[in-house]
Amino acid sequence: MLAVRDLAVHANGQPLLRNVSFDVQPGHVFGIIGPSGAGKSTLLRALNRLTDLIPGLRVSGDVRLRGASNYADGTDLNALRARIGMLFQQPVIFPASIGENVLFGAKRLRSLTRVERHEVVERALREAALWDEVRDRLRTSALTLSVGQQQRLCLARALAVEPEVILMDEPTSALDPKSTQAIEDLILRLKAHRTIVLVTHNVAQARRVADWLACICIRDGAGEIVESACCDAVLGNPQCREVIDYLQHAS
Amino acid sequence: MTRAWSWFFSLVAIGTLALLVGIFVWQSLPVWRHEGWGYLTGTKWFFRQQEFGAWPMIYGSIVVSGVALVLAAPFGMGAAIFTAEYLPRAPRLAVKVLIELLAGVPSVVYGLLGILLLRNWIYDLFAPFDPLSGDTLLTAGVLLAVMILPTVVTLGDDALRAVPAAQRRAARALGLTRAETILHVALPQARRGLGAALLLALGRAFGETIAVFLVVGRQDNNLPERLLSLRPLLESGQTLTSKLGGSETNISYGDPLHWAAIVGLGLILLVLTGALTVIGTAFGRRSDA
Amino acid sequence: MRRLGDFLLAALAGLCALVSVGILVGLVFVVAQRGAPALSWSFFTEQIRLVGAAGGIFWNLVGTMILLASACLICGPMAIGLALVECVWLRGDRSRRALRTVLYTLNGLPSILFGLFGFIVFVQWLDWGKSWLIGGIVLALGMLPTVSVALIERLKAIPASYVEAAAALGLSRAQIVWAVLLPQAWGGLITGSLLGLARAAGETAPIMFTCTIFAGATWPRGIVESPVLTLPYHIFILAQDSFDPAVGAKLWGAALVLLGLVFFLSLIALPSRLKMHEEANA
Repeated sequence: MLAVRDLAVHANGQPLLRNVSFDVQPGHVFGIIGPSGAGKSTLLRALNRLTDLIPGLRVSGDVRLRGASNYADGTDLNALRARIGMLFQQPVIFPASIGENVLFGAKRLRSLTRVERHEVVERALREAALWDEVRDRLRTSALTLSVGQQQRLCLARALAVEPEVILMDEPTSALDPKSTQAIEDLILRLKAHRTIVLVTHNVAQARRVADWLACICIRDGAGEIVESACCDAVLGNPQCREVIDYLQHAS
Repeated sequence: MTRAWSWFFSLVAIGTLALLVGIFVWQSLPVWRHEGWGYLTGTKWFFRQQEFGAWPMIYGSIVVSGVALVLAAPFGMGAAIFTAEYLPRAPRLAVKVLIELLAGVPSVVYGLLGILLLRNWIYDLFAPFDPLSGDTLLTAGVLLAVMILPTVVTLGDDALRAVPAAQRRAARALGLTRAETILHVALPQARRGLGAALLLALGRAFGETIAVFLVVGRQDNNLPERLLSLRPLLESGQTLTSKLGGSETNISYGDPLHWAAIVGLGLILLVLTGALTVIGTAFGRRSDA
Repeated sequence: MRRLGDFLLAALAGLCALVSVGILVGLVFVVAQRGAPALSWSFFTEQIRLVGAAGGIFWNLVGTMILLASACLICGPMAIGLALVECVWLRGDRSRRALRTVLYTLNGLPSILFGLFGFIVFVQWLDWGKSWLIGGIVLALGMLPTVSVALIERLKAIPASYVEAAAALGLSRAQIVWAVLLPQAWGGLITGSLLGLARAAGETAPIMFTCTIFAGATWPRGIVESPVLTLPYHIFILAQDSFDPAVGAKLWGAALVLLGLVFFLSLIALPSRLKMHEEANA
């Protein structure tokens, strides 16, 4: 599904990430773990070219979605970002009703009739396991939701655009344990139809949810992939010293 | 001691302001007694006959400021969108500094430019409509538009920058184009601040004296029959500020009623610009509720 | 289609920005172009003759400087007092907000109202006639919001840790003011004053009735009946009878000098304003 080749990111001349290469299989949850500051979030943003919006960042190498390069000249960025959805650490809710939030991206892709709108909203909210809680108040402001619900709303919003890949940047670190559990269950359910790339601080979470793990640590001042293998392999038998240290610290 | 001095100087300042308002109310009393509410609605000003109606001047102030806002708002907002959403950090700061610098151009210089450039231009441009001179309400309005433009741009830019970057990022991540993000995320969320910017710019236009004085024509008793048509714009007129800046202020001091009428104009100006400023500031700051 | 919208918005916004900046820069350019020929050493050092057709603007500059200096000195203590009251002595959000509302409202008041105030109280009631001191007072009132707000923001930017450390050492509030707050706020006072002066330098309406005449004054003799010549008023009067071509170039020259003065005052305030901006966003 996603192929990353020799990805490198520089900020004002200083390297942030180097020699990043990996493959993400469809229907998998690809976990990225590593210490703070190693460049995990930057890597995620390079996948859907959100890095273009950050001044001073320069990306080299390639990211390919289903074989087609994201970084080719003339790529339609907006379409790309609709195919690769993103969930942030802090849920970002637009000051609008719940229904409008869900449709925010979807209604720009093509014009929807009223009936279609209802369908899209219901389908996305069901997939995000939020439908039952909000079905009666789709018109009320989304700001009244709890943080956990807001994050699921962001997920529904991303799902409404029918992405093939969903990037998640530490989606549960701002949430309480119950909401975290809910999101993790969602991830396991979602991967049947979608591919997920998950950045997380929480090794236990990675263990629960991910099929494949990549560990990014800082080597010579820039982030590099230290280990990339199927989840059990990485955690059960870590190959490199950094992973071992990290696991010992983190557990 | 420090505390005492601080309070002393503060009270001197505040007391002076209270005195100012009080004086305007007190000194204008005779004309309120003489004319009652007719002072505000009366359309004739003949000081020799002791007849004082402020409405033509209120009308003039409103028209001139309104024209200024209508002309300045689109350009100013567009420019603010450009600086806030499209320019990278360094050029944006440079443009902001430049615009703020230009905001400091004194009104007498604007007046000079208005007299020597704008006046003839308007006269020639509207020649088919046969204006009497180039000193018209429209001239004053156009000049004011240029004067308040920097205010609109600076405050509009501030209002847009106050919208959190996370909102824009989330919208882009969904696949919205830059224009869609600006139109559907940034602008709606900056509504309050943008409204405040316009109100404050309007207040500034309303209170401008010297530039308006020089190009508005200073014609009394010229209230048009049909207020909302465009033709009256090409007539000379009078605003609250242009009247106050004129010779009547100096000569009327000896005559209590005439003087009261003049101060009354000042009171009206005080109340209106004060209201615009208070509402504009409150409007813009509600977001930190 | 969406890409077209993207392009259109960018183009329109850019156009507006270009027009806005262009008009404003163009104005300055016109003044510079027409005024430059009049500038010479004698322009700055001689007095007006022949109703502005000859001579220079020396006494106008002197008068303006006198007004600015007195405005600054009068405004300073009041602004410091207000800022300290707002930041240190006032308890309770409501009264603070009320004070700040008063300041913002004051800022929006047309300067001619201050001129009328000065006319009534000083020229008439106190029978001072036209005097430079009244001009200073009136301009100081106009500057007050600018300087006070600059000071208040500067005081608020002082890290709480400084104040806490001083308090922990046992300093009283007054001592904290003198030892910690005022030294740090000095920069804000200067910056705010420069900005206020830039605005005051160009004011004509408040000084028209209170302190300035067109010709005949040099150094003020005392306080009562001591008007001065000023640059803005000079331009104002001449602009109304501007058909004499000999007057023309000198008029633009005076306008250029005034513009230069205002820009100069704004620009020297710039570095410290940028620094405060950086510190605020750090």
